[in-house]
Amino acid sequence: MVFIFGFSFAETSLVKRSLETIYGIGPKVSQRVMARYHIYPWAKVGELKNSTVLDLTAELTSMKIENDLRREVQDNIRRLRDMGTYRGRRHAMGLPVRGQRTRTQISTARRLNKIERGGTGRIQM
Amino acid sequence: MPSSVCIRSISHLVRDRAAHTSIASRCLFAAPQSAGFSTSAARYALPSKKKTGTVAAPKRGVKSLNVKKGRKGVQVDTAKRPAQGERRALRKRIVLSNNNALEVPYLTDLEKTSALSKKNQGQVKGLPEEVVDSLRAVEAFKPTQGWSLFRRPATLIRKETVQLAALLKVAEGHVNSTEQAVEGREDGEAVDGAKEVAEVTAEEAVAVAVAEEGPKKTIRRVIVGEKMSGKSSLLLQGLALAFVRGWVVINLPDAQDIVNAHTAYAPLPESEPTQYTQDIYTANLLSQILKANKGFFSNTTPITTQPELGVPLPANTTLEQLVNIGINNPDISWPVFVALWAELTLPGRPPIMLGIDGLSHIMRNSEYFSADVKPIHAHDLTLIRHFIDHLSGKSSLPNGGMVLAAISKSNSPTSAALDFSISVAEARQARSGNLPTWNLYTKVDQRVMDVLKDIEVIKVGGLSKAEARALIEYYAASGMLRAKVDEPFVTEKWSLAGMGNVGELERATVRLRV
Repeated sequence: MVFIFGFSFAETSLVKRSLETIYGIGPKVSQRVMARYHIYPWAKVGELKNSTVLDLTAELTSMKIENDLRREVQDNIRRLRDMGTYRGRRHAMGLPVRGQRTRTQISTARRLNKIERGGTGRIQM
Repeated sequence: MPSSVCIRSISHLVRDRAAHTSIASRCLFAAPQSAGFSTSAARYALPSKKKTGTVAAPKRGVKSLNVKKGRKGVQVDTAKRPAQGERRALRKRIVLSNNNALEVPYLTDLEKTSALSKKNQGQVKGLPEEVVDSLRAVEAFKPTQGWSLFRRPATLIRKETVQLAALLKVAEGHVNSTEQAVEGREDGEAVDGAKEVAEVTAEEAVAVAVAEEGPKKTIRRVIVGEKMSGKSSLLLQGLALAFVRGWVVINLPDAQDIVNAHTAYAPLPESEPTQYTQDIYTANLLSQILKANKGFFSNTTPITTQPELGVPLPANTTLEQLVNIGINNPDISWPVFVALWAELTLPGRPPIMLGIDGLSHIMRNSEYFSADVKPIHAHDLTLIRHFIDHLSGKSSLPNGGMVLAAISKSNSPTSAALDFSISVAEARQARSGNLPTWNLYTKVDQRVMDVLKDIEVIKVGGLSKAEARALIEYYAASGMLRAKVDEPFVTEKWSLAGMGNVGELERATVRLRV
């Protein structure tokens, strides 16, 4: 097990996939982070040197990810709701926000449009 | 008069025991649960189970019809999963012998003295065992080639091979190769459509004239040709000839493996612009070099230079020990490679053969990214850079040698600059006045253009009928082809193979047997 940013990953898992399990890191960000430390795209977590792991953790610490990012997103939605805007209300109701029709196909909106968007995460906020 | 007994029996017939509790205990009949004229027992009975299946009709838009087979009785797959790397090993497996094939009685091996002779043309020659081991070590054999069909590896010495052999002679700096080259010229003129060869050999005669002054030459060639025309095989033949002649061979078996970002990379310190080393790949390459060139490394030559590797070297370190240091510490494999190269280029060392297959992969950006997320050009990878410097003529091999690159037609990303450079080189060698011009609307990779400015090519065409006949006779002697080999048969197969394309010929004769 290797600890990156406080999370443990199996040694056989890809660095790219491991990074992308973190809230706020997708393909682009993981590519950027890995390129920065010269980690090739197919690298496994177990291959990383200790110094690289520490560098990665330091880099991730300086980024707005996981709970910081969740809090920001939730605060933005909460602000909309508190102002009483249409978008805020739609978020509160779990309905589409940007003028989509609601006759059918709003499962994505039901899933995502919440005040507590992004959940509570692996570490409780 | 009816007796009282009869009346009692009638009362017995009354089935409702609840109504006649007094006689119920004496009742001999098997008592049914419910009476014909009473509902109380059924009422007191346990409520019957709710019937399943009668649910409400499905809601609108809900899929209720499931016609997929085997959803319920899905069988758990208990088959053994392939182990890690097993499938890859199977895919990359090289089989070099076939016990069912016959031994070919007339097959002779390539020998050091006669390997470069012109007289070999049109003959099938066996590869000596140690050469086979070396070729296997440098991964010159490809799984798609038909080595597994025959008793032992053998190869047809074709026109292009002889051309290559002549070039090897030039590289070695043999004076008498002038005669050979001139001979080649005469022969070349005799063969129809072989004008190109004549030109090339004439050119080599000039090269030899130069070679007489400074005996060792660096020959640089790109092998081009149609699909399945035997480009990789010609590269293999070149490597085999080099092994037979005792050269040091360094082969990059597949250019794709270096640039597709499947191996670790790191920036080379103090390089401007930044170069990138591939430590694991380089360490692997070093082990291939050591395994392939056993003869050279076995004669325990102590190193003469003092490489700065960051690890202490014991006194009288031999070349083999040096290489082993690089294999065991991938972190310093690149400095070790550089040190090894410095040793190899000292005076008195054997000529060097540098080979690569799949050239177009290294004529574009690699899949790696630099620290600021820009793609790294393949020429910025140290190994590729090292090879390209020699291919472009920027660096030369002081002990003579050859840089041989084969293109691929089936696995090659488009590289407009490479295609253009090859067409220019072909036109130049055909001495045609009008060289092709660059299409201005195509994006140019200037680095590639500069590197391939004055490249020369070996064009691999179809076999001649005589060569095709020699090959088909070898197939027949191996027992893999059961047919009478005569002129019409050879002509038929030669035509079927698109005028002697060797891969198609193999397909038409020994692979597809109807």
